[in-house]
Amino acid sequence: MTPPAVSVRGVGVAYRSYVERVPTVRRLIVGRRLRRSTTVVALDDVSFEVDKGETFGLVGDNGAGKSTLLRVIARTMRPNQGSVTVRGETSTLLQLGAGFNPELSGRRNVYLSGLAHGLRKAEITRLYDDIVDYAGLNEAIDRPLKSYSSGMLSRLAFSISMHLLPDILLLDEVLAVGDAGFRSKSLDAMRDLLVRGGTVIVASHSLHMVVEMCDRVLWLERGRIREVGSPDSVVEAYVRSPPVAAG
Amino acid sequence: MNLVVESTEVSTVTTNQAPSLSGWRTYVRNLWRWREFGWFLAMGNLKARNASTSLGLFWWVLNPLIMAAVYFLVFGVLFDGRRGDEDFLAWLLSGVFAFNFTATTMTSGANSILANRNLLVNIRFPRLVLPFSAVIETGVGFILSIAVFYVIAWPTNGVLPGRSIIWLPAAIGLHAFFNLGLAALTARLAIPFRDINNLVPHITRLWLYLSPIIWPLSLIEGRGGWLGQLASANPMFGLLSFYRMALMGRELDIAAFVTALLWVVLIGAGGIISFVRHEGNMVRYL
Repeated sequence: MTPPAVSVRGVGVAYRSYVERVPTVRRLIVGRRLRRSTTVVALDDVSFEVDKGETFGLVGDNGAGKSTLLRVIARTMRPNQGSVTVRGETSTLLQLGAGFNPELSGRRNVYLSGLAHGLRKAEITRLYDDIVDYAGLNEAIDRPLKSYSSGMLSRLAFSISMHLLPDILLLDEVLAVGDAGFRSKSLDAMRDLLVRGGTVIVASHSLHMVVEMCDRVLWLERGRIREVGSPDSVVEAYVRSPPVAAG
Repeated sequence: MNLVVESTEVSTVTTNQAPSLSGWRTYVRNLWRWREFGWFLAMGNLKARNASTSLGLFWWVLNPLIMAAVYFLVFGVLFDGRRGDEDFLAWLLSGVFAFNFTATTMTSGANSILANRNLLVNIRFPRLVLPFSAVIETGVGFILSIAVFYVIAWPTNGVLPGRSIIWLPAAIGLHAFFNLGLAALTARLAIPFRDINNLVPHITRLWLYLSPIIWPLSLIEGRGGWLGQLASANPMFGLLSFYRMALMGRELDIAAFVTALLWVVLIGAGGIISFVRHEGNMVRYL
């Protein structure tokens, strides 16, 4: 049996954040502190495995820990507890190309994100025309990114990600944007990735898409796993559950 | 699209914070793999920093030059701090330019992390590339200013590059390693504790006044005691002595230079190690 593409074992992540109190004269005089720090638990003892070639969905309310979990799998963030083992290269894709620098041109952003992924400049130059063609950007590629529409941004982000040929693609709320043409194109590209033995992990609020695409789904609630299983049953249980206030 | 899975790299991330020896070897190899990224960031910033000003890149040299002019007016002329030193202008310029390399790297070390937060959150790469690119960026500005140093020091003080100039690359190398450690250390502290950013300008100003830049060595000569000891414990003391030997043919203060070498190793290596050990936690504080 092939080892899983991603194994997450007992992962916990906590952020420290400040709660500001309304400054009042009495508080200033009495000298009570205006800020106190609290610990926000984003993930709590999360364990699961994702097999090679699988499409794995993450669902849950806002603040349930989906994005944090993707960051831990992308290994840009070290967990406070537990460990993560990943077999292969990952590429993260976020809504509206949030990994870009809006002041720079599309061209410079292509190089920036390629180089940040560890590619050589020559390799990016070789891929460059394909990336621009696939994103359908033509001469807009030399304009600063802040002039792009949201559709153009997601097309560019998706095109870069797919040309990096990741083994594991991490998607955070990407598929909700973009027109129908782009959506079908991106689904085709993902199918290609799965065919060549890749793995897709997708966090999304568009539940029908999750049911349609995924082989298995994980439901996170306030940083804990509520359920893992077949898309139909997990999504149905999630939809039926009463809303929980984000922690 | 390519149908071959190219890489089967396995990597495990745990809460364990101390990289092993083989971990360090991998880290250095990764740093090398990401070298073009560091260079790209540095060159991009070099151009972007003053892109909207009409003098553009010249500001890299103009800033320390104006600073030196102010110090010359205040301390050289007003307080007559020259004390008979004929090369005071060359002394001042070499000091201000070299010190400015350290001061700007310290500020941009933490900024390089904050400015690239989007990349840090989403993409995995050796984070030390960012302070590295800050050192390259400010180092290019510094090297440009050395040319300006001679343009001014030659007609005024008759200072021209002599044979000792062969030591200049070594001086820049040591200084750059020291700055890298310092930038890494500032970034490592300033990301969880943003208060550090407010302290940095005060620390650098005090450090500037305590270094032999705006005052000549004769000011502390023969004073002895704690003042002399404090002055020669300053890493800038030996570094500047090394620079002035290379640039102006002055005599090298061996004791101060050895002290500076110890500082370079301590701050350089210490800053890098501390940064790398904590870089996995960085995203949590962004």
